[in-house]
Amino acid sequence: MPSGRLRYGAGLGPAGPAAPSRGIESAADLLARTVETLARRTPSVGADAARELGDIVLALHFGDGSHATLQAHHNSVVVNGGLAPGTVECFFNDRSLLALYDLEGRPSQVLEQGAFDVRGTPEQILAVWRTFQLLAQRAAGLRSVQSLWMTYRQGRGLALAVAANGHEPGPDADVPDAAGLLRGSEAAAESASVATTRVLWNRHAGEGWWAFEGPRDADLFDIMERCRRRVADEILTLIPARHPVDGLYRLMREYPSRGGKGLRPTLCIATCGAFGGHSEDAVRIAAAVEMFHNAFLIHDDIEDESLRRRGERCLHMEHGIPLAVNAGDGLNLLAVDTVLTNIERLGLARTLTMIHEITHMCRESIEGQAVELGWIRRRHVPIRDADYINMVSQKTGWYTCRSPCRLGAIAAGHTRPRELDLLGEVFKEVGIAFQIQDDVLNLIGEEDLYGKETLGDLLEGKRTLMLIHLMRTVSARERRELHEWLGRPRSKRTVSESRHVLRRMEQSDSIEYARRVAARHAARGARLFEDTLGFIPQSEGKAILRQVIHYVNTRLL
Amino acid sequence: MTAGAVSVEPGAAGLDLARFLTGPPGPFPRVPLSDVLERRWLHYAFVTTDERQALIANLATLGAEDGGEPIRTSVLLMYHREHGWTCSQWHAHLPIDPWTSYRSPAPSTAVPRPTDFAMQSLAGRPAVALRLTSTATPAPAGVSHFHRTNWKRWQAQPGVLAEGRWDDGMVPARETLAVGYHERVLGRWAWPEMGGWVFGFCNQLADNPEGPPRWAVVFALLQPMDEGHDHTAMVMVWRRGRMVLFVPRRALRVTVAGQLARDRVTTTPRLAPLIGTFSTAPIPAVLCIDGYQGADWIQLRFRCRDAARLVVPSETSLPPFSVHEVIGDMEVRIKMSGSTETFASPGIVEFAGGAAERSWSALR
Repeated sequence: MPSGRLRYGAGLGPAGPAAPSRGIESAADLLARTVETLARRTPSVGADAARELGDIVLALHFGDGSHATLQAHHNSVVVNGGLAPGTVECFFNDRSLLALYDLEGRPSQVLEQGAFDVRGTPEQILAVWRTFQLLAQRAAGLRSVQSLWMTYRQGRGLALAVAANGHEPGPDADVPDAAGLLRGSEAAAESASVATTRVLWNRHAGEGWWAFEGPRDADLFDIMERCRRRVADEILTLIPARHPVDGLYRLMREYPSRGGKGLRPTLCIATCGAFGGHSEDAVRIAAAVEMFHNAFLIHDDIEDESLRRRGERCLHMEHGIPLAVNAGDGLNLLAVDTVLTNIERLGLARTLTMIHEITHMCRESIEGQAVELGWIRRRHVPIRDADYINMVSQKTGWYTCRSPCRLGAIAAGHTRPRELDLLGEVFKEVGIAFQIQDDVLNLIGEEDLYGKETLGDLLEGKRTLMLIHLMRTVSARERRELHEWLGRPRSKRTVSESRHVLRRMEQSDSIEYARRVAARHAARGARLFEDTLGFIPQSEGKAILRQVIHYVNTRLL
Repeated sequence: MTAGAVSVEPGAAGLDLARFLTGPPGPFPRVPLSDVLERRWLHYAFVTTDERQALIANLATLGAEDGGEPIRTSVLLMYHREHGWTCSQWHAHLPIDPWTSYRSPAPSTAVPRPTDFAMQSLAGRPAVALRLTSTATPAPAGVSHFHRTNWKRWQAQPGVLAEGRWDDGMVPARETLAVGYHERVLGRWAWPEMGGWVFGFCNQLADNPEGPPRWAVVFALLQPMDEGHDHTAMVMVWRRGRMVLFVPRRALRVTVAGQLARDRVTTTPRLAPLIGTFSTAPIPAVLCIDGYQGADWIQLRFRCRDAARLVVPSETSLPPFSVHEVIGDMEVRIKMSGSTETFASPGIVEFAGGAAERSWSALR
């Protein structure tokens, strides 16, 4: 990487937390922070831009003297600061930069101004133009990106042209500014995307109000946190506060209180919304799934002899194995009870369908866990990726991605097997990408962000895609050594040995390989999402699901 | 007494005396419905003068297949600002023939009047028993003709007063006064050819709540699934019961923005999920209409607050279509004869259409 690097868009490098309040130093900085925001909040925009950009390295030269390069990396785009050669060169001044991102003019008008200059082959120029168009049209509709650009504008004293409105209606008056009514209103604050005015009738022609395709992109970052908090509150309300508090109920509260990503609650609630249901209809079942998840984690940590979970010591390390096992059982029981409480709000039919789904989810997870534990017990490392993929599809895929979505749809009243299966197929791919990325983060992620001990999977001898790839790649002698090392109990494997294995994985390109496979599954999920889920109308709920697909393999925690 | 050019003696055998003695026979021409796509309905919508409650009622007659009996549906939807929506099924009980200004003569205010509009869910609630009075002239009928053999004709009247007992089951029953809108519709159309529509109204109460509203506005936008030339739009304004402004479609524009949060939309009736109800497009969060007529003009801004999605079984296909009844706040600016008036009032807007045809076609 060039030394003048600003920050990654979606890489695993040290991407700092977004700080919109910080001043923006230059146009290159603005671009880098826009891409960073997109990677964190709306990864699907970055993924689509990366697809348009292909293998083009875009060298950008701004009117304020700053420079940057923009290029695709896996399912996202990456910005590097500084002057570097590119396959296509772009020159901007302030006016053209704002014209592009504020969508004040059509592309042809921007070009006519002569302020925006692209040099490359015609095909490359068109690809760059499509990339800019995509970034401009989709990113400019996001509240978080708009606030960044506002900061930049204010810092440089650049005014944004605002269409005149509010004067008297007449033959030459502007179209009524419906979006203007939403600016600063409570309704607008609830939405992550920025509303634009849509004309239903312009005196001559029009389109139906129902033809509105809802927002394509939603700010995943905020929504995941909101969903996580809402469901965590629900869980903490449902866990009783009676005797024995210290031996059971306090333990049951521990993992749910420690935070987490909120992926399952988000999937559950967003799918419910996408199918036209109320978000509150999905809260109970999302809470039940989280309870099952936390119970699995407690038991899984014991089975894997893990030390840390969500930034703190594992429950069994803190309270001993017997009490931890019991707390896990307690959460499982409470989860069943929580599913049943849906009868009151959603009725018998939906609740029974949910029970059926939950039973299936638990069976798949337990079977997947049995396969993995069996490998470790028999000191077996599968050779084929397919064995690993099948295992994670069962172990994680169902309860992390497939079932939360299916349950969200059921909460909204949609129980047709065909629909649920189409949804499940998409999120099967997403679940695989999620688990691979989870394994990657365990090796090279930041412990503070990730929450588990780094290298924990190696110390536990977990069969990951990287390990399977390494075993395939190394010499027969080294493979025997690795087999012997993996056959030892955890207490006999040291951190320095694990570091050595990690180095070998890096040398053998195993981590990059795993990330490529994850990106492939996420891309397949994204393709299936667009191709097969056309029956779900565009809405903020669907937009969130779209973001999750790309989030799973670009996430840092 | 005459009916057209033919002289008829009252009391002659086979004649309906009431038809000749009480004014027009309305609300519809006495012609049988000959087709499954033919339909007639009476529509009522009221907001209480304290702006806390609202009701929407629809009584429809749909043509029967194979010359059988026509199908009648009746639905009563009630709203309370704090408690949301409640709705009857599609067969609410009507103990008496409903009042309609298109049939009833202007009532005498000198004598107490009996209830002339009563509806009740078979479950008992929601229920209303009202005395309705028109205080404004009806609008001229609007007609939309589309897809060669499809058409819709409607006639609206704002400023209808409703006084009587409201029992929505959410708060204790009470006697109250409301002001609203009445409409008759007849036509022949199929879905999805009909596309959809946006209808709405608001009444600004005068100092005397029993008189005509100071201002009343009614608007309509019909958008068949066709090229724009089939679309119909109009805005009409009443001042103290008299229609004073009509803005035709070539002089008005309609825009929307945002979307009403799904949590603000209640699907009704409660059995709707059983008829395979897919989600529809989101309802806009705001609706703006601007129109002019010479030097006069009107600006309308409607912010949606709560919506009920009435799921309506389709006559011709399995998927139902939806009518969204939306309660919100209407701000109106009118310039007439050189002076500008501004007022705000609760309004009801109906967004219909957008049945999830895509959902079904994707799954077939």
